[in-house]
Amino acid sequence: MKIWVVRILSIIGTLVAVFGFEFFMRGLVAQDQSLDYIYRLAVLAGLFVTLAVSLNLINGITGQFSIGHASFYMVGAYAGATLTNSLYKIQPLGPETWLFVVALGGAVAAGIAGLIVGLHSLRLKGDYLAIVTLGFGEIIRIIVFNQPFLGGSFGLNIADKNDKSLWAVLLLAILCIAVCRNLCQTPHGLAFLAVREDEVASSAMGVNVTRVKVTAFIVGSAFAGAAGALLGVYDGLITPDTFRMDVSFLILTMVVLGGTGSITGSVIAALLLFSIPEWPRFMVEGGKPWQVTGATLLAGAICLIVSVYLVKRTIDEYHGPQRTKTLRIVGIVGGGIIGTVLLGTVFGLIPVLANRTWDVGALRMVFLAVTLIVLMLIRPQGIFGHEEFGWQKAMKALRFGKPGANPT
Amino acid sequence: MTTPLLSLDEATIKFGGLTAVNKVSFDIERGDLFGLIGPNGAGKTTCFNLITGVYKPTSGKILFKGSEIGGTPPNRIAEKGICRTFQNIRLFPSLSVVENVMVGAFLRHKTNIFSAFLYLPGAIRETEQFRAQAMALLEVVDLADVALARAADLPYGKQRRLEIARAMATQPDLLLLDEPAAGMNPQEKEELHLVVRRIRDEFQKTVLLIEHDMRFVMGLCEKIVVLDHGEEIAAGPPEAIRNDPKVIEAYLGEAV
Amino acid sequence: MDVLLSPLAGLQMDFGALPQQLVNGILIGSIYALIALGYTMVYGVLRLINFAHGEVFMIGCYAALFTSWAMGFTATGMQAAKPPTSNIVTLLIMLFVSMAVCSLVGVTIERFAYRPMRNQSRIASLITAIGVSLLLQFGGQLFLPPLQQNIQAEVNPFRDTISLTLRQAPASLKQEFKTASLAQKAAEERLAELAPPGALTSELSPEALEVRERLSELTIKSNSLRAQVNDASVFVVIQKGKLIMFAAALVLMIILRHIVLKTATGRAMRAVNHDFQSASLMGVNVNRVITYTFMIGSALAGAGAMMNSTFEGTAITPFAGVALGVKAFVAAVLGGIGNIPGAVLGGILMGVAESLVVWVGLSGYKDAIAFVILIVILLFRPGGLLGSSAVEKV
Repeated sequence: MKIWVVRILSIIGTLVAVFGFEFFMRGLVAQDQSLDYIYRLAVLAGLFVTLAVSLNLINGITGQFSIGHASFYMVGAYAGATLTNSLYKIQPLGPETWLFVVALGGAVAAGIAGLIVGLHSLRLKGDYLAIVTLGFGEIIRIIVFNQPFLGGSFGLNIADKNDKSLWAVLLLAILCIAVCRNLCQTPHGLAFLAVREDEVASSAMGVNVTRVKVTAFIVGSAFAGAAGALLGVYDGLITPDTFRMDVSFLILTMVVLGGTGSITGSVIAALLLFSIPEWPRFMVEGGKPWQVTGATLLAGAICLIVSVYLVKRTIDEYHGPQRTKTLRIVGIVGGGIIGTVLLGTVFGLIPVLANRTWDVGALRMVFLAVTLIVLMLIRPQGIFGHEEFGWQKAMKALRFGKPGANPT
Repeated sequence: MTTPLLSLDEATIKFGGLTAVNKVSFDIERGDLFGLIGPNGAGKTTCFNLITGVYKPTSGKILFKGSEIGGTPPNRIAEKGICRTFQNIRLFPSLSVVENVMVGAFLRHKTNIFSAFLYLPGAIRETEQFRAQAMALLEVVDLADVALARAADLPYGKQRRLEIARAMATQPDLLLLDEPAAGMNPQEKEELHLVVRRIRDEFQKTVLLIEHDMRFVMGLCEKIVVLDHGEEIAAGPPEAIRNDPKVIEAYLGEAV
Repeated sequence: MDVLLSPLAGLQMDFGALPQQLVNGILIGSIYALIALGYTMVYGVLRLINFAHGEVFMIGCYAALFTSWAMGFTATGMQAAKPPTSNIVTLLIMLFVSMAVCSLVGVTIERFAYRPMRNQSRIASLITAIGVSLLLQFGGQLFLPPLQQNIQAEVNPFRDTISLTLRQAPASLKQEFKTASLAQKAAEERLAELAPPGALTSELSPEALEVRERLSELTIKSNSLRAQVNDASVFVVIQKGKLIMFAAALVLMIILRHIVLKTATGRAMRAVNHDFQSASLMGVNVNRVITYTFMIGSALAGAGAMMNSTFEGTAITPFAGVALGVKAFVAAVLGGIGNIPGAVLGGILMGVAESLVVWVGLSGYKDAIAFVILIVILLFRPGGLLGSSAVEKV
C-alpha cells in the first residue's frame, strides 16, 4: 500500500516537473521568438537521452554489441510520419493524445525491426554482431533513400507537425530511464546482466539467453523508435541523412563514455556529448561568432597533447594520496590553459598563423572528436564504469535487506 | 525397481574423428555422492557438457528422472533440476556476490518481465525473497560477510564456493561439481569437503563431482566411475577402485 | 510489398554489357582489396576495427593531389603556355609520396591513440578509433581545400583505351552496315558539292533538297544498323591506366605476401595474429610488429588512394574515406577478417557485386549490396569466406 502512495506521488511529481518545464520553455519562446532553438535543443537533448539509455539496455546491460541504433530511430521516425500523414486527419483524438499514438506506432515498428536484428544476435557475437547491426542500419537507410513514397533523398514532410511536444519527449526519456532502472533492480535484470557477463554460465543457471537477448533488442529499439516518431512529429520533416552512421556512433559513444551498463552514466554522457557541438553557437559577440586564429589552434593543440600525456601519466603511475593526485591533475590542466595563452601570444607574432582565422562554429565537430579521444585516453572505462551514481550506490547499500524502499 | 535419478546409457559423442566419450553408462541414485575421475583428457568435463546440454550426444541416451534429456538446451536442463559448476570458474565477474546467487534463483521466477519494467509490488517482493534465499545460501558456504563485494574481487577458494552457492540457488535435484577443489590449499579443501557433505545431508541433494585430488574423492564419494580416453574402465565403491589394476595402470605413477 | 518491390520492375539485364561490368568490378575491386588489407592486418594483430583507416585513405588522396599540384598539374598550370607533361615517373613520385604520407599518419595514429588504449577493453579502443576518424574528417574540413577536388586528368598519361571484342556481329550484318555507311558518306559528299556549307534552305536547288532528304534517311538507317552491330557483338573497353592500376595492385599484394610469408617481420606478424600473449612471451617485439603492420597497411591504403583518384578520377573530399572505408571493411569481413588472402578475395567480390547491381539497373542500391552480402555471409559462415570461426571452450 505504501508502495503505491510513494509511486503515485512520484508520478505526480514527475508530471508537474515536466509540464512546469514545458510551460517555462513555451514562455521563453513566446517572449523571444529567437529563443526557439533553445526549445529545440531541449527536445533533441531529451531524444538523445532516450536513445543513449535504450542503447545502454542492449549494449551495456545485455552486452550485445550493437552499433546501428540510428536505424531503429529511423524506422520509428518513418513509421510515425507515415502514420500521421495517413491517419491524423481522421483521428478523433487531440494533437496531444496523438503524440502517444505516434510514439506507440514508432515503438511497434522499431520493435519489429529490433526483433529481426535480435534474432541475428543469437548466432553472432562481438564484432560480427556489431557489423551486422551497422549493415542493417545502412540497408534500411538506402532502401528508404530509394523509395519515392517515403520521399527518397528529399525526405518526408509531415503536414501536421506538433512543435510543442517537449513534454512528450521528456516523458519518454523518463519512462525509458525508469524502465531500465526498474529492470536492473529485479532478478529479471540480473538475468540480463548475467548474459552480458557470461552466456554459457547464465544458460547453465537456467537463464533463457535467447529470450533475454531478443527482449533487450525489442525493448531497446522500441524506445529508439518512439524517440524517432516524436522527432518526426516535432520537426515536420525527416530525411534519410538525419540517421546516418555517425548518429549511431554518437549514441554508442554516449553509452561507452558514460560507462557501459550505467544508466546515469548514459544520461550524463548523452547530455554532455550532445551539447558539446552546440556550445560554439553561444560563443557569439555582437552578432558575430568568435574567431579563432591559427596561432591559438596550434598552441591549444600542443598544450592539449602535453597535458593529456601528463594527466594520463599521473593517473596511471602516481600512487601518492588521492588529494595530491587531484591537485596535480588540476595543476596540469591549469598549466595547460596558461600555456595555451602564452604560447598563443608567441605564435601570434608569426603572421601566417595570426592571419588565418576560423569561426568557432566551424570547430564544433573537432571539439567533439577531441573530447572523445581525450576522455577515452584518460578514463577508458567511461565516466561511471559499470556503476551508477556514487550516492545511489550508497543508498543501495543502506537499503540492503529493507524491503520495498525507493520505488520510481 | 526405482528409476535412477540420472542414467547414462552408452552415451557417446564424437568431434570429427575423435571420440571424446565412448559408450559410457552409469546410474546415479537419489542421495548419492558420486565421483567421476580419470586422468587429463579422459572425457570427464565432456561428460558434464553432455549431461547439461552444452553438447548433444552423437548416440546413446541420457535419462533424467526417467525422461530423455540428451540435446535439450542447457537452460531447459537447469529448469528440470540439474545444475553445475565449471572447471575454470565462470562467475559473473562484475556482479556482486549476492547478485551472482540471485541469478541462480532466477529460473524460479513467477513474475513476468512487465512487472519488472514497472517495478510492481510482485516484482519487488520476489526480489526480496530471492535476496533472502541467496543470503541463506551464502551462509551455508560461509560467504555472507562478502555478499556485497564484486565476485571478481574474491580470492580463488571463495569464488569456487560461490559457484556452488549459485548452482544451489537453482534448487537442483542433481548438482554437478567440476573439479571443485582444484587449486585449493589443504585447509580450503577441508572446508569444501564439509560444504559438499552438508549439501548432501542437510539439503538432500544428489552430487556428481569430477575431481583430480584422489584423497579428496576417496574420502568424500561413495561411488566412483573411472574414465580413461573416453571409456569407462572401472566403477564401484572407493575401496574397489583403489585396488583396480586398470585404474592403477591409467594413473601410473600417481598415488592412488 | 508492391511499393517495396517497385524498383525491381525496372530490372534490365543486357547480357552484352555484362563482361564490361564484370571487368569494371574487378578493376575497382582491386582498390577495395588494397584498403581491405589494411583493415584485416590491423584486426589480425590487435583485434581492433581501425575506423580511422578510411581517413588514412582520404589523406592519401590529398597527398597525391598536392604532389600533382607541386609538379605543376594545377588548373592554371594546365592553361599555361607550356603545360607540364606526365609520364610514369610522375606517377611513381605521386605513388611514393602518397604511400609514405599514409604510413606516417597510420603509425602516428597507432602510437598516440591506440597504443595507450591497448590494455583497455576493445570497445574503448573502438571508440577512440571513431574519435580519430571524426577528428581527421572534420579537422580535414578545416584545413584542406574547401571544395571537392579532382586530380587533373592530364596526370594520367594512359588515357587511351583498349577494346577487346569477345563476340563479332554476324558478317552479313556488318556488311550491310558497311554498305549503308558508304552510301551515307557518298550522299554527304554529293550534298557538299551541290550546296555550300551554311546555305539557307531557300537558296538550295531542288536536286540538293532531294539529296538532303536522302541523306537524312541514310543516316537514320546507318545509325540503327550501327546499334544492331553493337548489340550483336560483345566487347570490353578498358582504359590502359586502369589496367596499370590493377597490375600495380597485384604487384603490391604479391610484395605483401612475400613480406608476410618470407621475412622475419612477417613471421612475427603471423605469430602475433595467432596469439598476442604467447607471441610476446616468446620474445616477439609486439610493439614493433604493430608499428610495421600499421605502416604496411596504411601504405597500401595510400597506394589505393593515389591510384583511385588518378586512374578512376574519383573526386576528393575530406569525407571521401567514409564510404570507401566502410566498403573495404565489409570486404575484409567478407573474406574473413584477419585473413590476408580473404581480404583480396573479399575486395574483388565486392567490386564485382557492386557492378552487378548497377548492371541489373538498381544503381540506387549500389551501396547497400555490400551489407546485404555481408549479412548473408555472416549468417551462413560467421567467420567469413576464408576465415575460421573458433568454438568457445566450456
